[in-house]
Amino acid sequence: MSMQSQMKRYALVWLALMALLATTLGSAYLKLGIWNGIVNLVIAVAKAALVAVFFMHFARARAMVRLCAGIALFALALLFAIGGSDYATRAIHAAPWQSPQQLQSTTVGG
Amino acid sequence: MSAPTVAAAPAAPQFDERRQQEAAASLGLWVFLATELMFFGPLFFGYAYGRSHFPQAFAAASRHTDVVLGSINTALLLTSSVTMACAAAARGHDARRAAAWLLWATAALGACFLALKGVEYAHDWRDRLFPGVRFAFGDAHAGGAEIFFFLYFATTALHALHLTIGIVVVCLFALALRRRATEFASAERIELAGLYWHFVDLIWIFLYPILYLVGRSGG
Repeated sequence: MSMQSQMKRYALVWLALMALLATTLGSAYLKLGIWNGIVNLVIAVAKAALVAVFFMHFARARAMVRLCAGIALFALALLFAIGGSDYATRAIHAAPWQSPQQLQSTTVGG
Repeated sequence: MSAPTVAAAPAAPQFDERRQQEAAASLGLWVFLATELMFFGPLFFGYAYGRSHFPQAFAAASRHTDVVLGSINTALLLTSSVTMACAAAARGHDARRAAAWLLWATAALGACFLALKGVEYAHDWRDRLFPGVRFAFGDAHAGGAEIFFFLYFATTALHALHLTIGIVVVCLFALALRRRATEFASAERIELAGLYWHFVDLIWIFLYPILYLVGRSGG
């Protein structure tokens, strides 16, 4: 691919990234309830995919590179799944030596 | 424009050929990026914990971040990734002057990001949002909000540190190209510097919505 056509492609990716940024910023001000967070996350994943595929050349990366990135993401998923299941199944109880001020975040702050 | 010159250059003694050297170098950088993900990952997990346990406090705290500066910074960083990718492409096609200019532009965009971040930190400090004894947050959510701002400062400062390293690396390569040190500023090394730069950008892509956009609609 010639340099000019490569840069033209990067310019298009830039436009797409800016459009996604505008969308995520705009959607944050709409009252979508739980969907606000989901839309933001989906757009972040789309932006990350554009950067990984076009700038980091992930689509034509070697098998070892893909394996390496896959293992890293899998390890991160393990951290979230195992660590998260622990926190999700425990109730926060006040320890007797905590002052009322310290407890604010755990009792009222939710 | 000539074809990429990577394959033509001689390989280091421990490699059979240049392509093998290039593959080893890029794999090495990807392994490094994998460890970097493990470095940032626990902070994201900490955020997920806080967001699920103190949702109202996190939404209230997020409304206190500067969404204008945050959005401008996101645009700057995304643009810098484009100039970085263009710099690597230009160097790959042996357009060294263009590559050097694009590297300077990348570093300048990164520096603008850091400058705006500094302005933002100054505002946060003035508004007493830095966690600690000075922290003041006017309503019932102060406890959870302090956890949010602890994560805000930890993640953005760690990201800023990485960006600073990236700016230094990019400037080194731009200087080397200007001094015609083509062996030092080789196409594959600039490609690797780009991988690191894009990774730092990826981290920010996820930090931006979780720090700046939560609870903006008030619902």
